[in-house]
Amino acid sequence: MKRFTPALVAIGVVVLAAVPWFGSDTFIQFGINALLLAVLAQGWNIIGGYAGYASFGNSVFYGLGSYGVGIAMVQWQQPFGVGLAFGVVLGIVFACSLGVVVLRLKGHYFAIATLALAQVMTAIVSNVKLAGQNVGLVLPPLNDDRLFYELALALLVVATSTIWWITRSRFGFGLIAIRENEEGAAVMGVNTTLYKVLAFTLAGIFSSLAGGIHAYWVTFIDPDSAFDITLNVKMIIMTVFGGAGTVLGPVVGAFVLSAISEILSSEVTTIAGLFFGVVIVAAIVFMPRGLADIVRRFPQAGWRYFKQNIQAHRL
Amino acid sequence: MDLLSQILVNGLLLGGLYAVMALGLALVWGVLNIVNLAHGAFIMLGGYLSWYLFTVAHVDPFLGLPITAVVMFGLGYVLQRGLLNLVVRAPMFNTLLITFGLEVVITYLAQLAFSADFRTINPPYAGGSWQIGPVALPIARFVAFCVAIALTLGMWVFLLRTRLGRAIRATAQNLVAARLYGVEPRHLYAVTFGLGIGLAGAAGGLYGTVSQVNPYIGAALTAKSFAISIIGGLDNPLGVLVGGLFLGIIESLTTLYIGPTFADVASFGILLLVLIVRPSGLLGKTA
Repeated sequence: MKRFTPALVAIGVVVLAAVPWFGSDTFIQFGINALLLAVLAQGWNIIGGYAGYASFGNSVFYGLGSYGVGIAMVQWQQPFGVGLAFGVVLGIVFACSLGVVVLRLKGHYFAIATLALAQVMTAIVSNVKLAGQNVGLVLPPLNDDRLFYELALALLVVATSTIWWITRSRFGFGLIAIRENEEGAAVMGVNTTLYKVLAFTLAGIFSSLAGGIHAYWVTFIDPDSAFDITLNVKMIIMTVFGGAGTVLGPVVGAFVLSAISEILSSEVTTIAGLFFGVVIVAAIVFMPRGLADIVRRFPQAGWRYFKQNIQAHRL
Repeated sequence: MDLLSQILVNGLLLGGLYAVMALGLALVWGVLNIVNLAHGAFIMLGGYLSWYLFTVAHVDPFLGLPITAVVMFGLGYVLQRGLLNLVVRAPMFNTLLITFGLEVVITYLAQLAFSADFRTINPPYAGGSWQIGPVALPIARFVAFCVAIALTLGMWVFLLRTRLGRAIRATAQNLVAARLYGVEPRHLYAVTFGLGIGLAGAAGGLYGTVSQVNPYIGAALTAKSFAISIIGGLDNPLGVLVGGLFLGIIESLTTLYIGPTFADVASFGILLLVLIVRPSGLLGKTA
């Protein structure tokens, strides 16, 4: 299995890249959404999966990326690329300035501080004139779904390669050490503050790029949808469902869950939402380490796998 | 000046309700180390239960509160015993996510069962108010405030003085030691979660008399309860009470002087400040 993984991944990327040439319009649109969600999941994977900090502030990066593109293109008449760069700069500034402060907090406290940041950002942006206040911004339309699809795919490939690099680098081992035992890591000479801020910034760069691409694709942004917290919850669920702290898990998680919710929402939306909730609850009880762990351990353990999971965490 | 004192009174009355909303969340968080993202959804369910008791069975909303609280306690007990106890030792994301899943399930079930319409519990005295000097005291809000204060103080006495309350606090401090002294953790965890949800139910009943209930109010109420628990600290109910009153007043003042869109900025800004400067809460013991 291990030997074939690189080849399988390469084939997967080629197939995905070819989708716009044989898929229907709706399928391509579904693909863009799924790819962007996968990028966001990978971003969360860096800070949440590897460094072990459950961030609810990643949707802020996404929003900053959207507004970077929106403000640059609408207010300053700059091209898309400049907008993306501007969004990334906003994301980096946010990650470095606030990251230093909130990354001092641990566990639930970090989660809630980032949640509060996300709430505050929505309210602040709705009062900024340059950002169109609570009405939002309308971007010039560009009807080229193929381009957006390939951009999103390229971004996902870059994000995933970065994570692959992280898993083999000193930086990545430092992050994992922080996740497992932060004091221990500091004692062993890991510059924990620097590593955490770097991880947060990396997550921020990918998330803001995803936000920027999404903004230009849907051509409309407003504070509520750009800084939507449920998006952050989605990233976490997709990452955990696929396998937090693995290279490909979040991508698989994002694709599987996007597909499920797409199929269900074409039926009845209420039932789709209900099902989503049940999937989350069942996944946490039966497969808390995600699909990646099932692939690894199910062949040996068989159905006992699920029982072992429950026994490991029950009171 | 009259306007200011009226705003302060309104903020205080609102703050009492906030305190009860947050009390259950703080209890579950402090003892079980579960941040219950479905807390607001349980408040919503309590609101609907009170609404049905009032409109169908014609029970006064304040007299019906014990019924709502007991039913919600049962629901909480069963959920913890049958579901949450299975994951309580898993890493933090997992408990966070499972309660989020519960929130989604409850919200959609509520939408199917109750429709998306707004419901208000309107007892005959709802619109009335007492005039005290320059300040008007709305009756329903005032009674809700008194019930809220009574519940908070009751909870405080319960945790401090009763055998069960001591067992709960002991478990919060050291599960293993508590077990050695004869505490049955599975049962005790379920009782604690039940109490948290019972309080959420009562808060929902009170909320229904002063505001409107629909299936989607949960998430915002959870966020608010978080802010209050953090500001007040998880150590004891009095801290939560202070946090609730403080937030109620701050929100009313911000709405008056800066604008209603900034009420949330103010509360979450304060939450951030408290987290950074005093992570154990305003009244909490420093670790």
